[in-house]
Amino acid sequence: MANLILDPIVLRSLARDIGELTLEHIVLVAVSSGAAVVIAIALGVIGTRRAGIRRASLAVASVLQTVPSLALFGFLLPVPFIGGIGKHTAILCLVLYSLLPILRNTIVGISSVDLPVREAAIAMGMTDMQLLRLIELPLAAPTIIAGIRVALVTNIGTAVIAAVIGGGGLGVLIFRGVASVDTLQILAGAVPAAALALLADAGMGMLERRISRA
Amino acid sequence: MVLDGVSLAVERGETLVLLGRSGSGKTTALRLVNRLLQPSAGDVMIDGNEVSQMNPISLRRQVGYVIQEFGLMPHWTVEDNVTLVLRLLDWPVPDRERRAKELLDQVGLPYAEFRFRRPHELSGGQRQRVAVARALAANPPLLLFDEPFGALDPVTRHEMQEQFLDLRSRYDFASVFVTHDLLEALALGTHIAVLHEGRLEVVTTPGEFFGVRTPTAISFLNTLPPQLLKERGKWQT
Repeated sequence: MANLILDPIVLRSLARDIGELTLEHIVLVAVSSGAAVVIAIALGVIGTRRAGIRRASLAVASVLQTVPSLALFGFLLPVPFIGGIGKHTAILCLVLYSLLPILRNTIVGISSVDLPVREAAIAMGMTDMQLLRLIELPLAAPTIIAGIRVALVTNIGTAVIAAVIGGGGLGVLIFRGVASVDTLQILAGAVPAAALALLADAGMGMLERRISRA
Repeated sequence: MVLDGVSLAVERGETLVLLGRSGSGKTTALRLVNRLLQPSAGDVMIDGNEVSQMNPISLRRQVGYVIQEFGLMPHWTVEDNVTLVLRLLDWPVPDRERRAKELLDQVGLPYAEFRFRRPHELSGGQRQRVAVARALAANPPLLLFDEPFGALDPVTRHEMQEQFLDLRSRYDFASVFVTHDLLEALALGTHIAVLHEGRLEVVTTPGEFFGVRTPTAISFLNTLPPQLLKERGKWQT
């Protein structure tokens, strides 16, 4: 516990690190989650129209999800262009890792629109885009948001591992702490990451409730 | 082959009832009209135009459609549901509101009281009134009804049938009406087509139905209480 001695100079530098790395962590999560939302919803919508794409995309996303996240980061390191050391590889990993819950919930949400509702919409002369925009997406929204919530919260935890491949974020503190058996550093990384996850969960929960009420 | 050798016609102000048991192909026949299904052979003509040559989207906007399960949009208000087709046709908002008021008042749901309600706040009969108003919104020359009143209690069903006749004389639409209820067929049809296993067994009028001697027609007549059959002269007036 000797390294828990609270030297004001060490503390000040640690506080600065926490601030910078938290910001970096948020950027990692925001960019990857944003991309995952766009890709997964688009794939999910197409998947409700094309059974082949639905099966293929669900299979790929499921397999990606079963790969341990540390291994996924490792796999991409030697891949030319898309892989290598740095933020872009980390973000790619996080995107791949976030796809499944959003994709699955998009497909489930749209598929669970009542058949008579869908039939009436088509019989009234809606185009497929109108069906999607006016009926399917609004009715599936709470389910899709729930999927984004799971993906986002998981993503905040997984993003910690980005530090292993030089992606930055709060994982930097944790891995540095583990390497030097420095509990304070580990906590300095873990506590903000947990707080971010809780915050994101609460925020998405609020959004979910507001959308299902509307 | 679900339907074979079926040829039927209906004019404005008339109601062609498709009567048959489950699986007789009556719903299939109805869905061919607005191209929810495509025939492998044959065609449907509206005002001399073959529907297979028409754009299915614009065709459906000109043909009203009412189904047993209502099919109201659960996340929309009554007014938004009624004006759905008008919205698809890009009617300006004031015109849509005027039309919604007219239609809702017409089907017995006072506009001021009902316009902002959601489908889940309505009874079955009220929901079907909204669905009928929705089908009438763009004043279509042709309406299709797929067992619309089958899930309603008998008293509500009777009220809806009365309203159907009232609306038909007011708006003078042609209609095709699928049912497996002979009394409903007799009350609403100007013509009754009996379907059996995808084939047209007979086309008749309500007045002549009691004289029809085809197997399915007789099975349907047997569903009526005997005392009613004795007084069948009443139907023929």
